[in-house]
Amino acid sequence: MHSVQSVVLARGLRRRFGRVSALEGVDVAVGAGEIVGLLGPSGAGKTTLVRILALLQRQSGGSLALFGDEPSPARSARLRRRIGYMPQEPALYEDLSARFNVRFFGRGARRERVDALLGFLGLGERAADPVQAMSGGMKQRVSLACALVSSPELLLLDEPTAGIDPVLRERFWGEFRRLRDDGASLLVSTHQIDEAVHCDRLLILREGRMVADTTPASLMRRAAVTARLRRADGGLEERRFPSGGPELVGWLRGLSDAEAGGVEVATDTLEDVIVGLMREERPGA
Amino acid sequence: MPEPLRDVLLVARRVVLQTLRDPRFLALALAVPVLLVLLLKAIFRGVPAFRALHVPIDDYALPVGGFMVFFLAYVLSTLVLVRERRDGTLERMLAVGYARPAIIGGFVLGYGALALAQTVLVVSATAWLFAIPLGDRLLPVSLTTFMLSMVSIAMGVFVSAAARSEGQVFPTIPLLIVPTLLLCGVVLPLDQLPRSLRVLAHALPPTYAENVLLGMMRHGHSFAQELPSFLALTAFGVALVVAASFSVRGAR
Repeated sequence: MHSVQSVVLARGLRRRFGRVSALEGVDVAVGAGEIVGLLGPSGAGKTTLVRILALLQRQSGGSLALFGDEPSPARSARLRRRIGYMPQEPALYEDLSARFNVRFFGRGARRERVDALLGFLGLGERAADPVQAMSGGMKQRVSLACALVSSPELLLLDEPTAGIDPVLRERFWGEFRRLRDDGASLLVSTHQIDEAVHCDRLLILREGRMVADTTPASLMRRAAVTARLRRADGGLEERRFPSGGPELVGWLRGLSDAEAGGVEVATDTLEDVIVGLMREERPGA
Repeated sequence: MPEPLRDVLLVARRVVLQTLRDPRFLALALAVPVLLVLLLKAIFRGVPAFRALHVPIDDYALPVGGFMVFFLAYVLSTLVLVRERRDGTLERMLAVGYARPAIIGGFVLGYGALALAQTVLVVSATAWLFAIPLGDRLLPVSLTTFMLSMVSIAMGVFVSAAARSEGQVFPTIPLLIVPTLLLCGVVLPLDQLPRSLRVLAHALPPTYAENVLLGMMRHGHSFAQELPSFLALTAFGVALVVAASFSVRGAR
């Protein structure tokens, strides 16, 4: 379904590091103008996948097309110029200013563009300061500015909000949505599950395998309802029911009025569903 | 301006700016070769036992000065790409579309500016300290010393482009420097070496630079007579820059 408009189209990606398998046949499609969240616990293979898509690492197997082209040594530099990549670590020249870093990684970007971007990210006053004099959150912002400065069509962001405060996180996601609305495609890796709500689509990796490729709304259809009944003898009974199904109503009807009055009902959040998917045992494991 | 040239200049400008931002590094890089030449003079002119050897040190001062620039430029440049790889900035340069030849070209050009300053200082300090009248040899001697340091930078970048850590780089320093010092013609004339070592000597670019410098300073040759050696040195430099471009790891 993504093949016509896909900015990223990967099929059966595999990557081995010696005897360790980091990715085992992963399919990824990112369409134009969407935010795709890449979730998974630490060590699931998120960074490896992002680095392969950023053309910084070769896959051991499978196929990859970016903007409809298969990367080759001759095409890689040209393809990379259409991609904005933000690594997990800031990867900046600490002895140089924020402005210089952004201009340099923007391959000579115009100063007005750089200053406007730094201003938007709240670093207008600190643009001339060396990066080494900045806090971790500021370095993350400089790093994001480096990824955005060339107005790329595809943004590959590896844990961009790791270690930054909630206010800044909201600002980052606001910027990601604005970029999406302007037509950019974003693949955002994160292990902060609450960020899933910001994404149009979610990819969930576990132990190098893709366990879900779906929308947050579809995931919520997997949500269950937990009912807790405190009995008269002090005991606690807990039951799980499919969300929106008749089973919960049927069970409640079977209770006495006194019992029903002590029932607490909670529906799974999106985070609960994702955590459940991440925890599921691998078949045959 | 063509895109590849613009990228080379951007990388070179960044390298120069970082060098200028580190005054301690800059002072050491410029002062050390001059101090070593000064030490050479103190040893060969001041210590009676060395004086008794009757080494024509005036003839050897500039070739030895050139070797010191070569040594220092190699040590400094070997650490360049390893540091960039460790900090993730090399990968980031590749990720934003800097081509590998542009990155290597930028390093060589940027550190070449430092090499130029080292050359001017070493040649002028040596000529002054040893009271060597250079006359019309000034330009070819300076040019050869500069080309030697450029080759050294290209060698350093080539080695560090293929290395993954400082640990892989450090052993190459004595591995290159010791045979070079012994075989390049400064310590022993090439024609006194056994055939196998002469072949090895001709595989080391500094041998060609020392051919030029010793030829002009000791044997009274003209630069035109030594032009083949100078061209061989230049060819080594170009080949090493190309080889370094292909050996940069960290991207597909």
